[in-house]
Amino acid sequence: MTSRTTISAGIDAGSRSTKVVVFDAEHSRILGRGLVDQGIEQDRLAARLLEQTCDDAQVARAGVTKIVATGYGRNAVKFADTTITEITCHARGVFHLDPEVRTVIEIGGQDSKCISLELGGRVRDFGMNDRCAAGSGRFLEMVATRLGVDLAALGELGRASKKAALISSMCVVFAETEIIGLLAEGVPPPDIAAGVQNAIASRVAALVGRAVTPPVCFTGGVALQPGMVRALEAALQSPVRVSALPQYTGALGAAILAAERR
Amino acid sequence: MSAPQKLTVSEWDGHYAELRRAGLREPAYGGSLSRHIAQEGDVRLQQLRFDNSAAALRLWNFLLTENQRLHEARRDGDKIVGAMKDLGTVPVMAYSLPRVRAFYPDGAWWTPCLMECSDGLLQQAEALGIDGSFCPVRAMVAAFQNGEHFPRPDLLVCSAGSVCDDFSAIAQRLERLGHPVVWWEMPRRREPDPGEPACVLPGGAVAPSIQVECVREELQQVAVRLGELAGHALDDRLLSDGIRQANRVRRVLGRLRALVYGAEAAPLPALEMLVAEMLAIHFCSDREESLEVLRGLLAEAGARVRRREFLTTADAVRVFWVNPVADLRMMNLLEDWGGRICGSDYMFAHALDLIPGELPPLEALARTALADPMVGSTQDRARRVVNDCGAHRAEAVVVCRIPGASHCAREGEVIREWVRTRLGLPSIELEIPPVCDAMLPTLGSRLQALLETARENRKWAGRTTEHK
Repeated sequence: MTSRTTISAGIDAGSRSTKVVVFDAEHSRILGRGLVDQGIEQDRLAARLLEQTCDDAQVARAGVTKIVATGYGRNAVKFADTTITEITCHARGVFHLDPEVRTVIEIGGQDSKCISLELGGRVRDFGMNDRCAAGSGRFLEMVATRLGVDLAALGELGRASKKAALISSMCVVFAETEIIGLLAEGVPPPDIAAGVQNAIASRVAALVGRAVTPPVCFTGGVALQPGMVRALEAALQSPVRVSALPQYTGALGAAILAAERR
Repeated sequence: MSAPQKLTVSEWDGHYAELRRAGLREPAYGGSLSRHIAQEGDVRLQQLRFDNSAAALRLWNFLLTENQRLHEARRDGDKIVGAMKDLGTVPVMAYSLPRVRAFYPDGAWWTPCLMECSDGLLQQAEALGIDGSFCPVRAMVAAFQNGEHFPRPDLLVCSAGSVCDDFSAIAQRLERLGHPVVWWEMPRRREPDPGEPACVLPGGAVAPSIQVECVREELQQVAVRLGELAGHALDDRLLSDGIRQANRVRRVLGRLRALVYGAEAAPLPALEMLVAEMLAIHFCSDREESLEVLRGLLAEAGARVRRREFLTTADAVRVFWVNPVADLRMMNLLEDWGGRICGSDYMFAHALDLIPGELPPLEALARTALADPMVGSTQDRARRVVNDCGAHRAEAVVVCRIPGASHCAREGEVIREWVRTRLGLPSIELEIPPVCDAMLPTLGSRLQALLETARENRKWAGRTTEHK
């Protein structure tokens, strides 16, 4: 195992999963990363994941000198040195991976965010949708369950769509009722899957507002869904880049900010 | 003299006993804070933290005994006027008359918050035809009907016209339920046409003279009704004196705001300042006492500033806050998370301005009423917010919303756009329900992210300055 003096860790305790990034600030590189489904004992879960990630990266856990927690469960991570919100962490993580980006769209399990960045990566403004799951990964989970497919397969299913169904983007509960109705009418599941992606994208586009400053980066777990990028590009009327590490940008930003803290 | 800090209700009990032993002198409505939970069921107080000064204790006791004060006034034979929707104009008129006091029934919207809905006011309002799609002011309808809070007023006065749709519907429902209302019309304030005679209003907005004249005539009718109630005509002499007395309150409040918001750190908490500002619109049913309460706060704040003892650190982010919160905890949490209030527009910025003393009294009141930020365009309001943010050196802006309130669906976005483009400040819009327990983590994330962004801006501004 190697021991370095400038190693930091970021922990993103999200609503669906906890992510860890171990970062070498001196060489500005990621040493390791890990992800685990969220559970009840978030503190223990995060601690175990950090240890596991350190083991995998062959870094001594004791060598991780600074830890920042972010995400909805950040305050539950008691061993972190401090907490920073997801807005600041995602902005920092995306800027590290792609410094040109001016707009960050993050769609996670529970909410979605739009962050406008100044040149240089500073947050200029942000918006969050957390009043309804209609703009979040939870919407996709509900639909996957309703269509009887795995979440991972939902995006592929949408690709087979010939004509995406029109589905409400305002409320997941109403949308579920609509989906039941569409299934009863015999609408093919691929069209429903594509319709849901469009609904999420439309909700996020409303959050972004009229003026999108490119380049736009798409991050968060939902960015891994095939078809979502296309739906988002159509809704924003702008090209969208997918983050190199969509699930880890928050944790990465937290790790970098941890290293920068004196 | 103890250093400033915020105490829970139970901590205040111990502190209260100490203050009593040290010779604390209180008005008749004084006492411990915890009694309001036991006697009135204001359980939300258990989740708030209060300033530890005797002046703050007096403020809270004054606020939380208003219903009791109104019942006592009724027993003493005073006439009681419910001034609805109007923010700070009709109360000035009512208090100009002997043995008449006004109160603000709309304020009942805070009751479900304080009582964590245990009194069932919102459910009762729903049963009376005003459901959850209306703003929490609907609590007022139930409070009128069940009579468990304030006494039934001798006269109800309500402005109509350029007021929010929710309130208009609620007040009309109230009238249908057997509570007669004296209506007066408030036109939507507009820009004067080219060459049209116009007046400058308190706060700097300009309105056509014909609109001022319209409001003056409406207020004249209200004055007649108030005079009939009092059995004593409300003439210019009485009204001028009433305006002078109201301006005394506004002056002290103005000095308090300037001192607290302008200080290097906060000498009084955001929560107490919010409550103090509210006194400008209704005097909490006792104009003279509200003046004394504000003087006490001003003295306390002044002493703390002189001793350089504050409740926040000097690096707390300076936040300009737009609209009042339904859940008072947000004001505590802002400070817990590293912010402080540096200025505010709690929907009644016009009630903080002095009423022009050099004009005929009804015209002065008409101009003040027409300066209400809620009766003009959203751009007018945004302009004033931007000016005030600049004057108060704000670093971030919070625009607060209350679920169901429909003053202007796009108002928050318009204000934020003005703040963003003209000042380059970060801002957020928060919707805070009367009891926001379940939403606290998400509200917290947004507010904390705003403060982080403002701090980062501060660092960048420092770097820019260094490079020059």
